[in-house]
Amino acid sequence: MEPLTINRKESKLRVAPEWADVCFTCGTCAGGCPVTGVDGMDPRKAVRMAALGLDQELIDSRFPWICTLCGRCEYACPQGVEILKMMRRARSLRERDKVPGPIHKGVAMCLERGNNLGIPKDDFLFLLADLSKEMDEDEGFPGFYAPVDKKGANILVTVNSKEPFGEPDDMKFWWRIFYAAREDWTTTSTEWEGVNWGLFSGDDEAMKEVTGRIVKHLEELECSTLLLPE
Amino acid sequence: MKTFGEAFFEEPRWVTQQCCENYVEMHPNRMNNFCCGAGGGAWAMPYDAERIYYGRIKAQQIMDTNAKMVIAPCHNCRDQIMKGLTKEFDLGIETKYLWELVADSLVIEPWTEEEIKKANELRDAQYERDEIDLDEEW
Ligand code: SF4
Ligand code: SF4
Repeated sequence: MEPLTINRKESKLRVAPEWADVCFTCGTCAGGCPVTGVDGMDPRKAVRMAALGLDQELIDSRFPWICTLCGRCEYACPQGVEILKMMRRARSLRERDKVPGPIHKGVAMCLERGNNLGIPKDDFLFLLADLSKEMDEDEGFPGFYAPVDKKGANILVTVNSKEPFGEPDDMKFWWRIFYAAREDWTTTSTEWEGVNWGLFSGDDEAMKEVTGRIVKHLEELECSTLLLPE
Repeated sequence: MKTFGEAFFEEPRWVTQQCCENYVEMHPNRMNNFCCGAGGGAWAMPYDAERIYYGRIKAQQIMDTNAKMVIAPCHNCRDQIMKGLTKEFDLGIETKYLWELVADSLVIEPWTEEEIKKANELRDAQYERDEIDLDEEW
């Protein structure tokens, strides 16, 4: 068996060997975690794995993905062990093509086409206009329309791509509120995605890019408030 | 809480109570509450059985309230409760987004002729700029 070096530099999860002492192995974290026991794992064991240098085993396991990053374990830990940070770092260290489910594909799509589901600009604008017309003419909101790229609007609103994709009428909840409040709002014709999947897939670079786009919109359109209904 | 440096527990509760007379809390709540099970991207993850297992606690919390409607402040929670837990645990409950509850509670005062005219002008200018023709087939 190869000897293992465990220190903050060599450890992939950047866990220091002091963790082995810091963590009491009290199990408070495991006791409060809803998925304790799944795959024979729990947050206490995950911490122990990291402290013992079993980084790669944790990275390759399903647990960091079944964990919802809810933070309940870390909140309850008497020793301030940063369990959440460790879990997300384990996700970051998974090879990108081995990220489970569609979230990495969504991130790549968002970087390339501006939203997680690759909805083209023309389709998006047409959909907004079509839904606006329904509200204006049939649903009791005369004069309503969805402003796009409106410079100087008070509120900039991002969109969750699942709505234009599969539940378009759900966008009207906010629109009805804006109508009643006579709010001066806008969304953007491209890069309107509000769901930053890099947070979940463990991709900091992508997260930064997607956040940066929203900041750029805010600056260019001179909007004073951001509404990110996620 | 750690992320934002401050928790926003009371604001959504206040909004809900403005829309709804008979409001009940789940237990435990606020910092001690449980995630619905769809957080951290789990709604999209291929581990459905584990996601539902996770959600058993939220399902029990909801059942214990005896409420007819549950309010979710987040897209993932709403989908997990409405499309996942309600069916799996036979909750017989209606789920709404917080902003859906607000939208459904509004008493709409239609805009004045003048406001409509102004909005129509802005709309027409925007549609011209974006080349939108609603009569065209797509
Ligand atoms: S709660 Fe903290 S100290 Fe206790 S086992 Fe978990 S990580 Fe270790
Ligand atoms: S953050 Fe993950 S490990 Fe911790 S309590 Fe939540 S689901 Fe469990």
